[in-house]
Amino acid sequence: MTFYEKELARLNSAIYKNQRQLDAVIAVRHYINQHYPTDLNLDLLSETHCISKYHLLRLFKKYYGLTPRQYLIDKRIEKAKESLKTGKSVTETCFAVGFESVGSFSVLFKTKTGKSPSNFQKEQLSIRE
Amino acid sequence: MRVTIISIPVLDQEKALRFYTEKLGFIKKLDTPLDGGNRWLTLVSPEAQDGPELLLEPAPLHFEPSKVFQDALMEAGIPYTQFDVDDVQKEYNRLIELGVEFSVKPTEMGTVKFAVLNDTCGNNIQLVQNL
Repeated sequence: MTFYEKELARLNSAIYKNQRQLDAVIAVRHYINQHYPTDLNLDLLSETHCISKYHLLRLFKKYYGLTPRQYLIDKRIEKAKESLKTGKSVTETCFAVGFESVGSFSVLFKTKTGKSPSNFQKEQLSIRE
Repeated sequence: MRVTIISIPVLDQEKALRFYTEKLGFIKKLDTPLDGGNRWLTLVSPEAQDGPELLLEPAPLHFEPSKVFQDALMEAGIPYTQFDVDDVQKEYNRLIELGVEFSVKPTEMGTVKFAVLNDTCGNNIQLVQNL
């Protein structure tokens, strides 16, 4: 066994010993992955997974390093990029991935990627030409 | 400031280029000749061709401490860097078929699943899937 494998085994027993917590946050992440276009919020996530919302918030942040809300936004932006690459319009993409306002989607998209949705799409489509 | 380059030290740039493109599936982006047969050689992921570039750097051949560091990481089994994949087990199966050697088979730990492969150019590389 290498030094790395020994360290992993040590970390695993030190950090990841609570399998119930792990199962809970993994299930929440999968739920977000499947339902990102819908109106998701912490109340809904905590109700559907039978876990108090503050506990969920704390656990998700502990194991994934960001809040469920931040993860949801990242997922929507990732899916928006995929949608824009296929040639769908900015408006269509915005609503398809779960945002409710084209204006706020465009601002958020630019903050996260450094480019507006339309500029991102132009670049992507030109790469493929 | 923006992150555009991630460098990986390699013992042989041409061999590394073949491994990272033919086995791992990256795409060559820049290939500029430099002094002494060295190249500014970068790759991108096919899914993010405008994303960060992977620089295959011949540092271990020209700077002894780089070689010492690379050898120490290899001996300890520590990955030099890691790449995200959608399905570690699927990538493992695909790469095993291509003759790639793994020091760590697909393993779940906490919220990730990972495996560690040998890039044949002096480095362990970790593949990671978020669970």
